[in-house]
Amino acid sequence: MSLSKFQNGWRIQWRVIHALMIRELHTRYGRENIGFLWIMVEPMLFAGLVAILWRVMKGSEQHGVGIVAFVVSGYLPVVLFRHAVSRCVALFVANSSLMYHQQIKVLDFVLVRFIIELLGSMMAYFFIAVVLIGFDQFPVPADIGLLISGWLLYGLFTLSLCLIIAPLSEMSEIVEKFIPVTTYIMLPFSGLFTMASWLSPSSREYLLYSPFVNAMEMMRKGIWGDKVTAYYDIWNPITCSVVLTVIGLALCRHVRKVITVE
Amino acid sequence: MIVCQNINKTYKLGSGHKHVLKDVNLVVDKGDRVALLGRNGAGKSTLIKLLGGVEMPTSGKVQRHMSLSWPLGFAGGFQGSLTGYDNARFIARIYDRDYGEMRAFVEDFTELGRQLAMPVKAYSSGMRARLAFALSLAIEFDCYLIDEIILVGDQNFQRKCHFELFEKRADRSMILASHSTDIVREYCNRAVIIDKGQATTYEDVGQAVDIYTQL
Repeated sequence: MSLSKFQNGWRIQWRVIHALMIRELHTRYGRENIGFLWIMVEPMLFAGLVAILWRVMKGSEQHGVGIVAFVVSGYLPVVLFRHAVSRCVALFVANSSLMYHQQIKVLDFVLVRFIIELLGSMMAYFFIAVVLIGFDQFPVPADIGLLISGWLLYGLFTLSLCLIIAPLSEMSEIVEKFIPVTTYIMLPFSGLFTMASWLSPSSREYLLYSPFVNAMEMMRKGIWGDKVTAYYDIWNPITCSVVLTVIGLALCRHVRKVITVE
Repeated sequence: MIVCQNINKTYKLGSGHKHVLKDVNLVVDKGDRVALLGRNGAGKSTLIKLLGGVEMPTSGKVQRHMSLSWPLGFAGGFQGSLTGYDNARFIARIYDRDYGEMRAFVEDFTELGRQLAMPVKAYSSGMRARLAFALSLAIEFDCYLIDEIILVGDQNFQRKCHFELFEKRADRSMILASHSTDIVREYCNRAVIIDKGQATTYEDVGQAVDIYTQL
């Protein structure tokens, strides 16, 4: 009895998420030209242009690693983080009129935005990697399982941040103002620019407190294998994500209680 | 059945609080047609929001044992850049209804023709109301929430709405917030007057209307 109720609940949530995703994609990208493929092209443009810039400025290799591949592998997860977080700001109020449909929950809004960004950045990653492998600019991943695990942990931590930022931005407008600058300052702690092994032991130690860095090290170890030394602890992103998710869910619940709809 | 138990709702107002609803109790049975009466700002819309589940009571409980519509004719849920058809498909998806049937009903009911393929932001308010009504009526609910907008649209459309709502769905429950005492007298079997945050239920609608007109 309770199992079938649970299954039914899942079925409804899945239907709602599906409907919201299509609505969101239509709204954001319309049906003109390539339509929803923009979710992939947008991050691709970002990573591609930055990679070209770095290639021109810094040459083809750094620490024995191809610079284009290094930048691309670093930027796309960061794009996921920045886009997902900024999409979550003031999300509940913007969608509040949809809450007249009792089957739609506030968490659906967060999940939908996050899934769209995750799909977009992962598709872009896959596409760029395949093209670059064709031009011999990107290594064939040494350990694809580790690469995907790193991605998923990076995504998980991003999702847990979204679950906190979405309700916080409803509680205080100041939060909203701080988000662009915070995501910018976060860049050095995202694992984007360096591998932990390129740093001095003391700064490495600090950097490895960042869940992003741990997940990024996993991804890069998955790509380059024995060519690089990686430092990571998979429990760091998992623990941080679980803690933030618990806090985030509590905040969402609180905000849902006090939210005022026009 | 819908049961409100000791609902309180307060809103933040500057540094203080505004107590909009105080210990409101309300039971809506199957087939009941309840009128919500009250002056502007008395808390009718707040009560409708709490009943509809968009907002939560500060304390107390709203229990819904039957399906409840979103406010009839409510156009706020539309995404302006999507077409009328897109919005209809969205509703069909989340309520798990067949889109073909929904589409046929919406085309027939709204009489908007090819304009349904236009973005909703290009609609006039009358056209929006037509679409919103059609969508609310395309899904069958046990209880309909109606917030003041029963009188939108031209004569022909009003007749259609009256037929769909009060004749075809005569067996359903309704919760109707309106200033039109004629409509209340004609269709409702109970009335709730909301005044100073208190809700008083009257079984005699005529008596309630008399009290309301003297507020």
